[in-house]
Amino acid sequence: MNATVAMITTRGLLGRRRIWLLVPLPLLLIGLALIARATGAEPADWGEGIIGGLGFTAVLPVIALIVGTGVLGSEIDDGTITHILSKPLPRSEIIFTKLGVATGVTALFAGVPLFIVGLIAGDAAVAFALVVGAVVGSLAYCSLFVLLSVVTRRPVLVGLAYVVLWEGVLGNILTGTQKLSVQQYVQAIVDALAPSDLLHGNVAVPLSCVMAGVFTVASTAYAVQRLRTLSVAGETG
Amino acid sequence: MAPQTSVIHDIGYQRYTGPRLGRWYANRSLYEHSVRAAFGIGRGAKAKIFPWAIIGIVLLVAVVVIAFRSISGETLMSYRQYASGLSYPVMLFLAIVAPELVSRDLRDRTLPLYFSRPLARTDYALAKYAALVTAVLGLLAVPQLLIYIGAVFTRTDGWHGAWKELGDLGPGLGTTLLRALVLAAISLLVASLTGRRAFAAAFIVGVFLITSPIVGILSVLGNDTIKSLAFLANPMFLMLGLEQWIFGVENNNRLPIGDYGPVYGIAALILLGGSVGLLLLRYRKVAA
Amino acid sequence: MSTVDLQHVSRWYGNVVAVNDVTMTLGPGVTGLLGPNGAGKTTLLHMMSGFLAPSRGTLTVDGAPTWRNPDVYRSLGLVSERESVHGFLTGKEFVLASAKLFRLANPEEAARRALALVEMEPAQDRRIETYSKGMRQRIRVAAALVHEPSVLLLDEPFNGMDPRQRFHMMDLLHKMGDDGRTVLFSSHILEEVEQVSGTVQVMVSGRLAASGEFRTIRRLMTNRPHVFTIRSSDDRRLAVALMAQDSVAGVDIDATGLQVRASDYGTFTRALPRIALKEGVRVRRLLPADESLESVFSYLVGAR
Repeated sequence: MNATVAMITTRGLLGRRRIWLLVPLPLLLIGLALIARATGAEPADWGEGIIGGLGFTAVLPVIALIVGTGVLGSEIDDGTITHILSKPLPRSEIIFTKLGVATGVTALFAGVPLFIVGLIAGDAAVAFALVVGAVVGSLAYCSLFVLLSVVTRRPVLVGLAYVVLWEGVLGNILTGTQKLSVQQYVQAIVDALAPSDLLHGNVAVPLSCVMAGVFTVASTAYAVQRLRTLSVAGETG
Repeated sequence: MAPQTSVIHDIGYQRYTGPRLGRWYANRSLYEHSVRAAFGIGRGAKAKIFPWAIIGIVLLVAVVVIAFRSISGETLMSYRQYASGLSYPVMLFLAIVAPELVSRDLRDRTLPLYFSRPLARTDYALAKYAALVTAVLGLLAVPQLLIYIGAVFTRTDGWHGAWKELGDLGPGLGTTLLRALVLAAISLLVASLTGRRAFAAAFIVGVFLITSPIVGILSVLGNDTIKSLAFLANPMFLMLGLEQWIFGVENNNRLPIGDYGPVYGIAALILLGGSVGLLLLRYRKVAA
Repeated sequence: MSTVDLQHVSRWYGNVVAVNDVTMTLGPGVTGLLGPNGAGKTTLLHMMSGFLAPSRGTLTVDGAPTWRNPDVYRSLGLVSERESVHGFLTGKEFVLASAKLFRLANPEEAARRALALVEMEPAQDRRIETYSKGMRQRIRVAAALVHEPSVLLLDEPFNGMDPRQRFHMMDLLHKMGDDGRTVLFSSHILEEVEQVSGTVQVMVSGRLAASGEFRTIRRLMTNRPHVFTIRSSDDRRLAVALMAQDSVAGVDIDATGLQVRASDYGTFTRALPRIALKEGVRVRRLLPADESLESVFSYLVGAR
């Protein structure tokens, strides 16, 4: 981890307007949970919807996408990456630092509201399980999106296709693809840590842990590889 | 050397005094150009990948429907179901195309070039909107027509059958048209807010993706009224409710909207009018 | 003191050859990389700075390859053509970050010195996005110099600079060169190269067309006549005598004097005084008319 790269990445990420468009998402999660509590509905009824449906299926991937592609993708896009690359830094250090920042920010924006929602649903154990799930999910998603940033010129679109088509549509139709879906790993892990009616995992827990790890490590390693051979195009880019 | 005098040489330059194809032609050109840009025509191969990938998906589904119909004689999905069931690909298509149409001009600052022509600001917005609607229509209606042709050939009751089939196609095309109108307006409005295509795409998908679970949440909480109105939260579900109100329930796939059909109609109208209005307002205010 | 060595470097994209078998060695001092747009200068600089792999050939800085070798940046400083900088940082923060990323022992001191060198101290606490184009350029140069590299590569550094900034930058580059650093900058504007360095590498259509000091290059081009302007006490008589010489390709006479096209510089310059003496003509003025870099350049670009 490199403090200077972390500083530049964090300021680049948080200093722009776009990050404030992510703020409504955690507020939405917390707000809906409060409303649900106020209407007196049972957590078992609304838990699946808010935590699973909104939190893990929509909010976590979207935040991870915007943050994960933002930490590296925007620098490659506007050319400022040369200032980072033209230094005697190991490429692995650069990737780890950026991945760390991305995971941290994503886990913050997704994990904190999920923790609060877990408490509102009444169970501290569940709340902690949700945070763990959010962190694992942030790590896996962000490493995937950082890899996409190095490998392709349009990482957001490819990432969207992955989240919407692969995890969303196909994940619901073909159960086989669920074994290759970060979302499913997260749900399985949360369900294992704090079994409840709120969330149901569809993939075996050991497989989920292993696969989440594989996703993260493989994506990061490949991203480092590709960063070593990143070529800069001419002025038209 | 002889001293130089300044002189303007006569190289035969003349002012153009012939007919000019005013505002209507400018609008039409912008519209045509935008439709072509939506499908990546006239640009390199890379611009074609994403839109044509979506087209491939919708055509594949259409082919499966046609094949199913011709083999087993049963309908896998009706025309209406085709239009509403493919909402994910349509959403991705909008997320890809809407930024191509408007975000690019914002980032490259080519708006002054447009507005210094006989093109009013509202013209620009409306031409882009019309182009996006056309693109979505093409995306869904062409496969629907293909399914129709396939179905007609499968049927054994001649002209009468073709006519009956048309009765099913009609609402299907109507569904397509409604969706094209409303969803294009929303997507274009979101895309026009930023010059960065990637964020515009993420935000467009975000709008659909985030509001979708909210429907589920709302229908769990609250009383029956809220359950019926829950579907207003998400554009796709709102369209489903609207279609159910206009075209009736189909195949017992009832959306529990109760008696609130007219509310969906009004809501759709407000959404459409509001989005287009805000779009026009946006381009009136944007710095050229 | 560092050497940048290129051996038979080529780079192609499919059918398009951007750089074609370039061999050159750069030593201490300032060298100008000259060429028209599209000649391959930027591609070559990208390869030299480790941002592009050569399709063939080797590029080394003091023996170490530039591709896939981040350690080479300890002795390499790069100012790229693209203007992009992290706009949200202040000038000082940017140079300081650069110093820290170079793992310098005393980054604050190095940053202070670099900022003083480019005269950006007054504006150092303003964000870079508020800078003018020339200021941005200077801050990027400061960030590239902060670790006192022995090799400095600049891609079109004078782009968009006003005359005063250009003068200052040239001065800076001269100082760097005099310090013993190896400085290479690219340009397609001849006056810039003429004023900064005598040594040029000329690239045309991906090939290295000429290397060395440009006056010497001019003289090496024996297949192009040299043009001299002569004013003398009796132009016409001199003209007649010169026409008889083998080394003279042509003579023009007009009110301002004689224009002599000589096909062999050496022979002509030795023959002229003899002839003038023999004819009893006093030569008042003898000027080579086309030794500017521009004419060298246009001959090279035109000759293919």
